[in-house]
This record gives sequence, C-alpha cells and structure tokens, in this order.
Amino acid sequence: MNRFTVRIGSAALALLACLAPPARADAPLAVAYGAQTIRFTHVAASPQGIAVGVEDPGFAQLLQATGSILTWKPGQRYVMVTTGVPVVVSFAIGDRRYDVGPISLEAPFAPYLVGDEAYLPLDQLLGALDLAMHRDAAGAFLVPQLTTLDVRSRGTAVTIAAHAGAPLHPRIVAQSPSAITYEFDGVGTPLAGTRAVGSGGVKSLEIVQAGTPRDPKTLVTVALEPGASVQAPRATDERDVVLAYEGSGPAAPAEMPTPVPPPPPAGSAYAPAYPGPAGNAAPGPAAAAQPVPSGPATVTGVSVTPGSDGSTVAIAVTGNAQFEWHRLRDPDNRFWIDIKGAQLNGPALDENEPDPIVSVRVRQIDPQTVRVAISLAGSKQLDVSPTASGIDISIGNEEVADAPRAGSGSIGSVVAVSESAMPITPAPLGEPGTAADASWKFGARSTYVPTNPRLIVIDPGHGGSDRGSSRNGTDEAVIALDIAKRLRDLLLAQGWQVKLTHDTDVDVYAPDDTAHQELQARVDVANDAGARLFVSIHCNAFYNAGPRGTTLYISKDIDRPLAEAIEQQTEMDGTKNDGIVKSHLYVTLHTEMPATLIETAFLSNPDDYALIVSPAWRQKIAGEIAAGIGAYAQAYPVPNQPPQ
Amino acid sequence: MKISRVVSLVLLLAVVAAGTWLVLSRRGPASGGNLRVYYTKLDGTTLGTLSVSLRPRQPGESDVEHARNVALYAAVEAVAGPPSDVPAIHFPPGTRVLGVTLHGETAYVDLSSDVDAQPGGSFAENGEFKGLVYTLTGLPGVDAVGVTIAGRTVETLPGGHLELDEPLHRSDW
Repeated sequence: MNRFTVRIGSAALALLACLAPPARADAPLAVAYGAQTIRFTHVAASPQGIAVGVEDPGFAQLLQATGSILTWKPGQRYVMVTTGVPVVVSFAIGDRRYDVGPISLEAPFAPYLVGDEAYLPLDQLLGALDLAMHRDAAGAFLVPQLTTLDVRSRGTAVTIAAHAGAPLHPRIVAQSPSAITYEFDGVGTPLAGTRAVGSGGVKSLEIVQAGTPRDPKTLVTVALEPGASVQAPRATDERDVVLAYEGSGPAAPAEMPTPVPPPPPAGSAYAPAYPGPAGNAAPGPAAAAQPVPSGPATVTGVSVTPGSDGSTVAIAVTGNAQFEWHRLRDPDNRFWIDIKGAQLNGPALDENEPDPIVSVRVRQIDPQTVRVAISLAGSKQLDVSPTASGIDISIGNEEVADAPRAGSGSIGSVVAVSESAMPITPAPLGEPGTAADASWKFGARSTYVPTNPRLIVIDPGHGGSDRGSSRNGTDEAVIALDIAKRLRDLLLAQGWQVKLTHDTDVDVYAPDDTAHQELQARVDVANDAGARLFVSIHCNAFYNAGPRGTTLYISKDIDRPLAEAIEQQTEMDGTKNDGIVKSHLYVTLHTEMPATLIETAFLSNPDDYALIVSPAWRQKIAGEIAAGIGAYAQAYPVPNQPPQ
Repeated sequence: MKISRVVSLVLLLAVVAAGTWLVLSRRGPASGGNLRVYYTKLDGTTLGTLSVSLRPRQPGESDVEHARNVALYAAVEAVAGPPSDVPAIHFPPGTRVLGVTLHGETAYVDLSSDVDAQPGGSFAENGEFKGLVYTLTGLPGVDAVGVTIAGRTVETLPGGHLELDEPLHRSDW
C-alpha cells in the first residue's frame, strides 16, 4: 500500500520566531462561524498573532461548536485539545512547538500563562480544527478548510480520502474520460496546487480554491489514465469522503513507494559458515529432487533470503529428524525451532538481519538438539514448512494476531507438520522470555466438579426491559428465548436436566435493573445450582450489514473444549463460522463451570437475518448446539459419574 | 592591551554562544519513536496495526507527564482507529477520549458517552476494546486498561456483554 498525505497546517513554519509573548489586550474579538458569533474576550494580540485564553467563554464556544474537548488544569504545562475527529492537539507552555496528532509544527509564539490561565496561539488552534480565520469589511469569520487529501493505492485501485472541518458534499461538475472535477461547496483549502499520483488510473490531482472568501468552494480535478473507472464518492463520515478509482492495469508506485527490500546479497549471512545445498535460495524443484540421506540428522546450513513479501530462513538438514517450534506472544516476538536428534555442522552463530527479522541465532543446545532462534521485528506472519532439503521458515512483513504459537513436524523419510495455538512444552531453560509464558491463554484442565452433573443452564440473552439488538422489528431477546426453548426441549429429550435463566420474556433480576444485577443474576442461577454447563444464546449485530456468522465466546480455560465441541456442530449451520473468541464477557467470566456465549448469527446482515427469522433454522441451530453439548459430555465425563 | 584582548575574547564567546543557541533553536523536532496502534479487523478477532510517530519528550516534561501524554495520544489513536477505508471495527461515531490517567501499571481511559451507542451483540464491543487494550498495553509500564464512561465506572455498556468495572488485560483476549 502506497500512501502520501497532503497536509498543510504549517504556515507557521514560514514565520520567524519571536520568543517574547504578546502583551495582554482586552479588546474582544468577535468571529462569525456559520450562524453563530463567537466572542473571544481573553484575547491578546501581537505582531506574531492572536492568543486566546483557555478559560475564555468564546474558547469554550469554539470547542463546543467543533466537537472538541480541552484537557488542562491550572498548573499543568501541557494543554491538550482533542478534536472531534478525534486528533490530539498538544501545546506546551513556553514551547513554540506543538503537535497535531503525529505531526509536529511550530507556532510563531509559545503558549504562555497570564495568572493561572494558559493562552494559546489562535491561528494554530484553528488550523488544527480545520478552520481558517479571515477578515473583511464586515469583520472576522471562520471558514472550514479541506485540509487532507489522503491518496492510497492498493493493487490497481486508488482511493483519495478527503477530510474537512465541515460536512463534505462533493458534486461532480465536470467529467470526461480523461478527467473528473469535484466541487466541495463551503470549504476553502490550503492545499491549492497540483500533485502527481501516477497509480491506479489516476495521473494527478489539481486543487483550486474558488468562490468568495465567505462562501468558498474547493475544486479537485482528478486527471485519469485511459480506461480508468470512477466510483461514486462515498461518505464515511460527515467530514470525510472517499473518492475511488480503478486503473486498467497494475498500480504503479505512488509518490512514496512501499520500500522494497534489497535483493539478497551474493552470500547471505550464514552461507560461509554453513554452506547449505542449492546456495541461498529457498529450495525449488531442483532441491526437492535431491535424495534425503537416512540416519542421524546434521544441520549443514542456515541461510536468510530477503524478498518483497518478507524473508525466508532456510535450515539445511540432512537425515531424519523431528522438530518442534514455539513463538512467544507479542510484544516478546521471539521464535525458536528445535531440531531433535541433530548435530550442528559448524560453530554457533549470532547475526542481525533486516526487517521483518531482527536477529538469527544458531546453537547446539544439547548433544541431541540444534536450536535456531529468530527475533522478529513485531508479531509477524510466520510459516514453518519441511522441505526435501530441510526446513523453511517464511516470515512475512504483515503483522498478525493470535498466530499459532507452537508446532511440530518431521523431516527426512517422513515429512509432516502440525501447529497449535497452545504451547506444546514450556520454553527450555536458558531461553529468555520464559516468564512471558505464564500469561499464555489456556493452561490446565478444569478442576470444577458440578454438584449437579446432569444440569445444564441455558441463558437466553437479554429479555424484559433489555431488548438486545433489534432489526426490522425483530428483537434479539425474542429470538434468543425461542432458540433457548428449542434447545431445552432437545436436551430434555436426551435425558439432561435443564434450567433456563428465564423462560418468559422478562428481566431475570428486575425490570430496569443495572447490567451488573442482571448479568450476575444469570450467573447465580448456574453457580447456585452447581450446573455442569452454562450456555448463553444471543444474536450478534454490527453498524453495517457486512459481518455475518456464528461466534462462540469464552473467557475461562475450561470453556474452550465446550465451545470447540459446539463449533464442530455449528460450523455448517448455514452462515459463516466465525470461530471461538476469547473475551472478557461477564457471564462466561463469572460462571464457575464450562460456559460459552453463542452469538448465533447477525441480525444486521441480510443473509443471516433471513436465517434468524426462519423457525426451521432456529430449530437446526438448537439441534447443533445440543449435539455439541452431547459430544462434549462424552469427551469430558464428570469424575465418578457415568458417561452422559 | 590586555583589556582589549579580554573584551575581544568575551565578544567572541558571546558570538559563539549566540550562534549555538540560534542553531539549536532552529532545529526541527527530534523523532519520538513510533507507537503501534492496534485495531480489530472485521473477522472480529484478528488484530491489525498502524504505526504513528510520537513526539519526543520535551524539555521540562517530567517522566509522569510524558507517560501520561503518550498514553492519552495512544488512547485517542486507538479510539479513532485506522483510516475509514480500512475495514475495521471502529468505536461508535463521535466516541472521544476525555482523558487518560496512569495509576501504577494501569491506564484509565475515560471515554465519552457516545461509546454507549453500540449496535448490540458482542462483536463490536469485543473488537473495539480489544484494540484499545492492545494499544495501551503496548506502552512501557502499562499492563492493564481501566475504562470509565464520562468519568464514571460502569459494569458494562448499556445492554452490553463485556465486563468493564475492572481493568482489562491482553490475556482477557
């Protein structure tokens, strides 16, 4: 993804510094802003600009009008304004430098104190709020500014995200195969000029301010490559609009091309010490065709090959061996692989490497094991693949979360690999980072013993005064109760005892109770009864119609096997399988027994909605949850109890 | 003769000092390192990251001030999330960070009540707070994130699912 951002807010940089603060002046300043007039009374004027006090009622009016918030108390050096975007604008008393988000700028004078009140440079504050102050014969007035045109290319597509200090309503005022012009009424701009793009079908942008000072308009003309297609402007927020284009061919690099790693050197870091087979390249067909010697394994080479998508660490191994790998969790981004029954043919090595790797180490850690340890520059995508010539470790540039953290396999006459979200063994002694393992997510099996091993508590989500999510008149509370009752009937037929936290559409604790009272009451039903399992039934929802699927939420270690058993049944329920998600949900966290909260489908997605309102589908998913509970009970029998 | 030499030396030193001051005062801001901002992708679980630059510690800014300012900045960036064209779970429109305080290893983030405008379901809540917690706990010395809404401790969001009356940790996800 290429990106450049056109952002002008630094007119102050052109002004010479004058360190003396302006003198306090009591002349009020009235500024028109839309239909209102903002009257600044704590004002000080000087040749360097106007300063305004943060306790000025006009200052408060300005913040309110722009949806901004002041974070400051008398005695504090830093004055923070969080804009409505939100972006933090940070001033410091006595320092001309100030920050607008990550951008550092410089004002013509430093904020200062008058008594206990901080005075800030007004023009710079207005600029950070995407406003500009102008004057004419009628007085001063504020004009919203189009301050950002963020150009990004991805593949053959280019998007231009426009942002201004007022709602944007672009109109297409001219269009031809070679150019399209948008008019943004009511906003000025400090971005006037022409910028080359050269990707995704867009040649360049020309930005012109027109109209009058009080009623400005900004014209953005996009010059197009032949064959480029134009999509309709898309408002992502009132003050943000995305313009999108698609080129006819691959996108060329934009103004700041994505850095491409240099080609691999002729001899990579480890080749001289461990000259592996097939040079430094990742094993290809020729390497795959090489015979694999039998007998004890030998690590003959470790090479690092940078590429455009990341780097590959190739471990050349002859003979048969088992391997086992682990990685620690972000931010401790270390990975190591132990090759069992192997000898290192050469000295130990420590080498630094460019991104996405930090360093690679190779050691014979005991008489039977060779370890290759890699420090990663972040939580990088990582894949371990046995090959005919050894093991390839591919490290991508992309960051991932919840990556598999352990795996194992073999090389030689039998090639196999597996990976797991759980560590297979603790980090061996001497490997730094062992302490981090203590917080790994899932550990010991449950020690919970239900006092009523045949009882399952079903919790229909929401109900009564809490309707949950709602779409087209369909309430989550009603759907969840319906599925819960269907599930109850199925479980009763299987011989279970079943208790619903509520079997009519009511609050469990009391109408209009607090969230804590309501959720704890549901938890209490299960805990007080010593139930074997707790299953909470819900429907999901989102701001837009995109997400869909079934998700099983868990919180405790002992919840996962139950969720896995149910997931195996619901993964073909007609919607997407969104998997098992660990979270800090109240009911799964505070129930003592294995528990899961099932978000059956999204009310906000049309396809899922069609399923949810179908009684047949509700019966189907109830049946699948019941089957999952049955499978769990078979696999995890309660001690001293007959199998379910 | 000696007096004129002394005067000349003093003048020379003054010129050197003034020149040094001028050069230093015109220097651009130094880099303050990068902040990794996490957001939850639309699969509801996978985290994406953004890198934004941090302002360096300022002269006269105490350790406590600097840590707090960085935490505030991190919280604002996490709540803002990635640019709007990046598919991600965003906080409800209008949600703002009203303030951040640090107590021991816990960062307390005060959010505006706009965060109450959830669509329902666990999906959005889970994704929103996962990104916020991962971002803040990526800061040195921050292990947990407490959440208040408009200055008040809440048990959950209205009609919500996530427990918010105790600090959240990465291990909660």
